[in-house]
Amino acid sequence: MTAFVLRRLLLLPLVALGVTLLIFGLLQMLSPQMRAALYVTDPRQLRAVDSVIRTHGLDKPFHIQYVGWLSRVVQGDLGWSETAKMPVAKAIATFFPATLELTMFAVVPIIVIGIWLGTLSAVHRDRIVDHFSRFFSISGTSMPTFVWGLLLLMVFYGTWQLFPPGRLSLEPNMYVLSQQFRPYTRLMTVDALLNGQLWIFVDALRHLALPVLTLSLVSCATLVRVTRSSMLETLRQDYVRTARAKGLESSIVVNKHARKNAMIPVVTLSALLFVGLLNGVAITETVYGYPGIGLWGVNAAIQLDAAAVAGFALFNALLLVVGNLAADVLYAVIDPRIRLR
Amino acid sequence: MTTNTATHGAVLEQPAHPRTLSSWQMAWRRLRRNPLSMLGLAIIVTFVLTALLAPVIAPPKEGARDPYMMPHEGYSPDPQPPRAGHPLGTTEQAFDIFYGLVWGARTAFRVGLVVVATAVTIGIIMGGISGYYGGRLDEILMRIVDIFLAFPGLILAVVVVAILGPGLEKVMIALALVSWPGYARLLRGEVLSVRERDFIEAARALGASDLKVIARHVLPNSIYPVLVVSTLDMGSIVVAAAALSFLGLGAPVGYSDWGQIISLSRGWILGGAGNALQFWYTVVFPGAALFLFTLGWNLLGDAFRDILDPRLRGST
Amino acid sequence: MRRVRRQVLLLLALTLSLSLVGLTGTATGQAVKNPDTFIQVSFGDWDTFDYAWAYDTSSHTVIFNVYEPLVAYDGGRVDRFVPRLATAVPSLQNGLVSADGKTYTFPIREGVKFHDGTPMTAEDAAYSLQRFLMIDRDGGPSSLLLEPILGITKTRDDKGNLTLKFDDLQRAVQVKGNSVVVTLKEPFGPFLSIMALWSNVVSKKWATANGDWNGTAATMAKYNNLKKESSAFFEKANGTGPFKLERWDRAGKQVILARNDGYWRKPARLARVVFRSIDEAATRVLMLKAGDADSIAISRREQPQVEDDPNIRFIDNLPWLRTDAFFFTVDIDTRGNPDVGSGRLDGAGVPANFFSDIRVRRGFAYAFDYATFLRDAFRNQGALPKGVIPPGMLGFNANQEYFIFNREKAIAELREAWGGQVWERGFRVTVLYNTGNVPREIGARILKDGVEALNPKFRVDVRGVTWASYLAAMNDGKLPVFWVGWIADYPDPHNFAFHFLHSDGTFPKAQRFKNDELDRLVVQAIKETNRDKRQALYFQINKKFFELAPSVSPVNQVVFRVQRSWVRGWYNNPVFPGTDYYTIFKG
Repeated sequence: MTAFVLRRLLLLPLVALGVTLLIFGLLQMLSPQMRAALYVTDPRQLRAVDSVIRTHGLDKPFHIQYVGWLSRVVQGDLGWSETAKMPVAKAIATFFPATLELTMFAVVPIIVIGIWLGTLSAVHRDRIVDHFSRFFSISGTSMPTFVWGLLLLMVFYGTWQLFPPGRLSLEPNMYVLSQQFRPYTRLMTVDALLNGQLWIFVDALRHLALPVLTLSLVSCATLVRVTRSSMLETLRQDYVRTARAKGLESSIVVNKHARKNAMIPVVTLSALLFVGLLNGVAITETVYGYPGIGLWGVNAAIQLDAAAVAGFALFNALLLVVGNLAADVLYAVIDPRIRLR
Repeated sequence: MTTNTATHGAVLEQPAHPRTLSSWQMAWRRLRRNPLSMLGLAIIVTFVLTALLAPVIAPPKEGARDPYMMPHEGYSPDPQPPRAGHPLGTTEQAFDIFYGLVWGARTAFRVGLVVVATAVTIGIIMGGISGYYGGRLDEILMRIVDIFLAFPGLILAVVVVAILGPGLEKVMIALALVSWPGYARLLRGEVLSVRERDFIEAARALGASDLKVIARHVLPNSIYPVLVVSTLDMGSIVVAAAALSFLGLGAPVGYSDWGQIISLSRGWILGGAGNALQFWYTVVFPGAALFLFTLGWNLLGDAFRDILDPRLRGST
Repeated sequence: MRRVRRQVLLLLALTLSLSLVGLTGTATGQAVKNPDTFIQVSFGDWDTFDYAWAYDTSSHTVIFNVYEPLVAYDGGRVDRFVPRLATAVPSLQNGLVSADGKTYTFPIREGVKFHDGTPMTAEDAAYSLQRFLMIDRDGGPSSLLLEPILGITKTRDDKGNLTLKFDDLQRAVQVKGNSVVVTLKEPFGPFLSIMALWSNVVSKKWATANGDWNGTAATMAKYNNLKKESSAFFEKANGTGPFKLERWDRAGKQVILARNDGYWRKPARLARVVFRSIDEAATRVLMLKAGDADSIAISRREQPQVEDDPNIRFIDNLPWLRTDAFFFTVDIDTRGNPDVGSGRLDGAGVPANFFSDIRVRRGFAYAFDYATFLRDAFRNQGALPKGVIPPGMLGFNANQEYFIFNREKAIAELREAWGGQVWERGFRVTVLYNTGNVPREIGARILKDGVEALNPKFRVDVRGVTWASYLAAMNDGKLPVFWVGWIADYPDPHNFAFHFLHSDGTFPKAQRFKNDELDRLVVQAIKETNRDKRQALYFQINKKFFELAPSVSPVNQVVFRVQRSWVRGWYNNPVFPGTDYYTIFKG
């Protein structure tokens, strides 16, 4: 196991190099004039294009730009993000906790609803409950995220004013920005509790509600499907049949025997889901004005903020490799039949 | 991006191999027995017919230069409700929703098929070679797959579209580029297990070329999970394209594309003052089209999986 | 089984509640939310709060409320000034402007303190102005004052070496007693107009202490064209204005201003101003309706969602010093260019010099349906165009004949174009706009439909491209017809005449357009000091704009403001980068 983990971790630099080479290669396909658009944002500045190219060295050959960037990265400098108006490393540190918090909260309902609906579906296969839960989960995925987001916002904020957009309301926000409040983790709910400010905790939860609901709607379908098929498979296995034949009550069989085994692929999927969510939240963050890393990443990509995109991709690759590894290890831990080589 | 997680999920729910291959007839029989699968099939067939008969159902205007451009009268900034001549209403800038949805069926199939076919093809080539030959080649190809998988899908798609310029073809390229690694990895796994089987050894012993062995024996025995996943992806690809439209990187305004039409509704999900549902038709109709399309492929995909999975066989 | 039924019911309830709640009514009137705090919600980010670096309206809205200029616009007027950090507005009458119109003396106000409590002096004012001229970052605002004061438009040569002489700077901006004396290269009509927006005063001592330029020749080169994040003013501020910059919270995409209680005038009524950036327009609308925003930025599209709400004031038809136009490139770079078809006049494309024929340009202009554009892109707010100079500015001529939608005239012009070949063979060309700009998109489609309706052989494509591609192609002369706009840097026609019509101006350079007579007229008009003569010259320039049609203005735009009904004390001035929060209160 240790050897396996080490070997996978050794891949990290390789993947990181590949990812950044890919992104730099892609961006290099743009003319220097196009890349100057990051700095020239108004037609009034049109005449400055050439000097911007010179100042920022945008016309230097690819290998020089890439090697220069790489050597700075090795020294711990990821460059400056023009879209975040701060260094890339600082931007990641700033925006990531917000997204992490959102994802941590979203993963819970997704897994609960996913497993619940998936099990229901499998147990009542091809009956009305099955149809209903599958319709429900498919409708979540078949509508673009922004449609769900705006609909929920209209109902829960526009009509009822229950769950506002953003990350905090005005007063809690001012308190959090003041000297009295110490940001330990930058996860708003956790910091609020650590500072003993329950009202801020409640306010943060209210702001998390809708993005979490949106992500759940959009993302639970995969888990429903996996749970359903995994359950169907185990329900059909000998020991479950035996248990049923012995006259054990149906719900006990489902909960104690079948579900436990069916959970193996589900658990590993959940680990992947977590990572998947982290880089799939961009549009949810846009709709709710929730300042997370996804929103920054997409804006950086649209504005061709090369340093930011490269830094973001690098960070993402790191998360994914570690996430995948966690999933594999988890898989081996739960299922003793699996041996990691 | 949704396609990524869907693919990851599918990796884990891959069915085992069908033991008998000439099972199409049997598959059809089993498909017919399940009402939900038939519903899925019916939905897809309806969309296929809509796409094929688009010129009849929604004939383009006399002298229209591009039938995919939705006809419009004027450029009114507000959507208008359903009325004579516009059975499903019009979007902002006065595009006819009915026309757009009908011709959009063609676009949906084109986007879905082109993206999935491209991604599957690349995936098959990469995954097949990787799994069949193994060794160092496998190692190199899988690291390339790792790199692509480690890339945030939406960001990669946005960068690609930013480089190539907005437009539907560019969106398709971007989506294919982010979808293929999932297929490659899936197929590789299958090939790895098929490779060791007796009949492959036998074919090799008989002196068949590698290409022949792969094409005749390896692929037919390992491709089913890929097919299942690709059916499931058909719907989600169209939704993913809508996300790019939302970011202003999709088809041009006025092009018959569901994602584009539903993006036009973003400003109208809130109604006017005092009438929250004033513009319902801008969301409901394109939303229904997207929903049914995804539903159809999902039901069909589930059916395929059930049919192709021997562990579930005989249980309908 | 009971368990199952319960679960089904739960599911049903969940979906039903989700789908039904949308049916209920909207929010009703509330008491004033956050009475001392004004929340402005817009989109887009702030660039920097360095007054000499920033050139975008988001940043300058903040700078405008934190720093103060020497002289300022008088309330909503664009043609009258009041003293601000100076004690008098220089004029020939009060002797603060020399008889030759080149020397301006600004007596500096005493008793004004910076936010850190230190007193503001004439030396600070001179330093601030010198720094504004000297920074001159690529594409920054420094050239606005470099042009009148030093007679140059840039401080570096083509290789990027500093060419500005410190001595010139010292000579042009001097401290004399308690006054700052500015000497211009040539008389410059709109000089005070520029100063009233761009002469913000910062503390020299504070700047030096925070590692910025110390005002000496030795370190000048180091700070010329400095990186934005290297400036001491990037995220911190120490001004004299009614509000202090409390925090630029980049993690929360917001900027917070707090009232300056030691302000030299009566302190502002608002305790705080919060600027927030939310990308999604629908979200901003909901925030306004909920009272979580006091004013928001939206486009005409969202107008129906806010205008009939009793809690919201929708103020329309506000003047805007802005001109949009579609431009023709008279020498298109056709190499590998997807927007010119075949690149030849064979019915399937256009040659590089297609638009160098004036009749083609005028034909396009007559084929554009101006009234429809005004109605559908701007909900009929604004006016039909009268040329390049927006209304409310010197040189605007309401009687100037301008293009109207006229099929016959369009056909007549295009029949004549290129010796009849255009009409005979037809063409194919692309009109471009940058994606996300809905009026331009609608305008491009109207132009397409208008031109294509003239002759079945005419084909116009419409293509939206990202800003990056747009900018690069514009710079390279690759866009056959493109759509951009200009918002006034200061309220003077020179700002428009130069950039729309002079061959060194921003747009003619992109169009490869040059007309000697126009070049001469534009230069003559800026040097002219007599107001009536100047007006006559701009009338003449505007007439030429119509006759030659290098670009076509499709509309006179106006602007609107959306705010809660509880907002009081707001006034509009079209040249302000944003709102003057000093006068605002809620109640």
